[in-house]
Amino acid sequence: MDPTSRPAVVIDNGTGYTKMGFAGNVEPCFIQPTVVAVNESFLNQSRTSSKSNWSAQYSAGVMADLDFFIGDEALTKSRSSNAYNLTYPIRNGQVYNWDAMERYWQQCIFNYLRCDPEDHYFLLTESPLTAPENREYTGEIMFETFNVPGLYIAVNSVLALAAGYTTSKCQMTGVVVDVGDGATHIVPVADGYVIGSSIKSIPIAGKDVTLFIQQLMRERGEKIPPEDSFEAARKVKEMYCYTCSDVVKEFNKHDKEPGKYIKHWRGIRPKTGAPYSCDIGYERFLGPEVFFSPEIYSSDFTTPLPVVIDKCIQSAPIDTRRALYKNIVLSGGSTMFKDFHRRLQRDLKKIVDARVLASDTRLGGEVKAHPVEVNVVSHPIQRFAVWFGGSVLASTPEFFGACHTKAEYEEYGASICRTNPVFKGMY
Amino acid sequence: MILLQSHSRFLLQTLLNRIQNSCMYLMFERHVGNSSRVSLEKCIELDHHWVEFDDVRYHVQVSMKNPHILLLSLSLPTPPLETVFVGGLPFGAIEAIKAAYGVIVQILDPPRDGFNLTLKLNLSKLPQDEDQRHTLLVKIASVREVVLGAPLRVILKHLASRTVAPDIDQFVALVHRPNESFFLVPQAEKVTVVFPMRFKDSIDTVLATSFLQEFMESRRTAGLSNAPPCLWSQTPPLELKGVTDDALSANAGFVTFVILPRHVEGRKLDRTVWNLSTFHAYVNYHVKCSEGFMHSRMRRRVESLIQALNCAKPDQEKTKKTPQTRSFKRLNLKDSRTNSSSS
Repeated sequence: MDPTSRPAVVIDNGTGYTKMGFAGNVEPCFIQPTVVAVNESFLNQSRTSSKSNWSAQYSAGVMADLDFFIGDEALTKSRSSNAYNLTYPIRNGQVYNWDAMERYWQQCIFNYLRCDPEDHYFLLTESPLTAPENREYTGEIMFETFNVPGLYIAVNSVLALAAGYTTSKCQMTGVVVDVGDGATHIVPVADGYVIGSSIKSIPIAGKDVTLFIQQLMRERGEKIPPEDSFEAARKVKEMYCYTCSDVVKEFNKHDKEPGKYIKHWRGIRPKTGAPYSCDIGYERFLGPEVFFSPEIYSSDFTTPLPVVIDKCIQSAPIDTRRALYKNIVLSGGSTMFKDFHRRLQRDLKKIVDARVLASDTRLGGEVKAHPVEVNVVSHPIQRFAVWFGGSVLASTPEFFGACHTKAEYEEYGASICRTNPVFKGMY
Repeated sequence: MILLQSHSRFLLQTLLNRIQNSCMYLMFERHVGNSSRVSLEKCIELDHHWVEFDDVRYHVQVSMKNPHILLLSLSLPTPPLETVFVGGLPFGAIEAIKAAYGVIVQILDPPRDGFNLTLKLNLSKLPQDEDQRHTLLVKIASVREVVLGAPLRVILKHLASRTVAPDIDQFVALVHRPNESFFLVPQAEKVTVVFPMRFKDSIDTVLATSFLQEFMESRRTAGLSNAPPCLWSQTPPLELKGVTDDALSANAGFVTFVILPRHVEGRKLDRTVWNLSTFHAYVNYHVKCSEGFMHSRMRRRVESLIQALNCAKPDQEKTKKTPQTRSFKRLNLKDSRTNSSSS
């Protein structure tokens, strides 16, 4: 039977979490942390010990390459035993450790999705700044190791745009504000093509929000065991943080009604198992504030997110700018804070209106500028918007034509994976 | 992971989530009343389809109206000519489903379009006891084992009691992959299982062949003397005389297992059934794993070679990279002339 008659497999590997599932569904099957726990006790042992029990080592070594776990299982394994080392194969949106990545994919396919890779086309994602060599590596692993019949490597911001496809009119022009765990990119896309020269990146991402919350709580003297403090801060971020409209007003609100705003966090010490609890106060709104006034977090980078978005659009070709302002799409887990899109829209609108006003006064009222529409789109599936976009695109019939097939790979080599055409289903 | 698990991970996760949600839903309803009902029911809706190895397709659906009714549809690989299917299912499947699940499952007839079987699960009839419920859910998640393994289970059960089922031919063909089957030769004292192994890719074929030979070799080591005897051969074994040539074209040879009554005693039966019916997937998985292993070895080798090359580079280039020379490159007259001529 032809692989094109089966749904394609869509895997979105993010720095923090990997989303995987089959095309045509609304939700991914699994959302797992991108982490591999490898048992390296054997490897270290083999260097020191002598040759005597070679066969025992040999058979242990044969099994050692299967002795690893991914995702949540990896986290629990590494906590319960010292034999396993955690490896994060992706850093800042780029694959960093290809061995670990290959293992991760292997488990995704065989243990989680439980599919035969030869039966399905694959859609993988990459960040817009990925080097073409990395795409070749990915293609090599997919075609050589897993024998996939076809592969398409999509840019994750284009997929995030495609996720809006069903909710409103289909529009493949827009700015994607992708705030993940490890990287923040602002990517303008025109008709499905990424405007590469205008991509802006910010060194502040979800992980920095977590670190900032951790720092705030530590400075206030909350009694959190140090070994658990990062995890606790992450949970606090995910459960309690929100975006405020004005920091000063928000401080006042908290001070007036502490009972209403201060939350409690209960945790368990990982080593002893004893419970502990702490208060959560200002960090509820100060965490997400890092994006809007980064000077409170670091002195190296002080440009707020709305300003960067404005700069990004201003550097794009002039005929696309209005369309770009009109469709600013959020994606990634760290845009999930409550009212994040409202705040972003308001701040951006302020910048744009000021510029329009300035040009009006400069021209002395002779020519009136058309007001610029600023629209930040948010939808309920932001956490896996990229995956959903991939699922939508991979279920169109044009998808299979745009894929690189195994036959093409064998004919031309891995270099075909460098380019992945924009296809008809996208717009 | 060395062996494939018999339950579908995603199906189990979905079922567990559903139970948890409906428990919360009930609690919520008691506390809050009907006001929040709409929003909660909305998040309970579900419609998901997915495919497993060997072309087994699943579809799960829960409608908004009846959140405790879950429809689970299953489609099986297309059977080749030589296998026996009764009403779209392998023989003995309906009885196996009834025996395994009891009251909480109802078989819908006809099944959903494009599927071989549709089960209606009533989640409110699940046992209250935590452990019992979990084992039952795992059992539901391994519906594939129950349905596809049903005929194999019937034959092996007869083996356990050292008899042969009365209405069975000299050999039985059972589907395990689309348009492919494996063969059983049931006898009173033993059941011989023959797998024709086929692979699409030429590299896979070579790897699988050597894997299977190694498999046969390792059976001979002392620790595994109780395991089923295992043989690999390039040509079809003599037991399969009379099978059509089409069903016997295999590019990675034939694997024969001899299952003895001691391998199917009591609780071993389930594991034997699962391991036999997914033997091809098991080999395929390990072929892919060894390819991955070889690739990481190759990558490590390339890295070490590159390191050796970098060490061999003359020192000149290293000194160039010091910060002073990088930012202020002093041009002499000759350099600047060549620069301008090139531009």
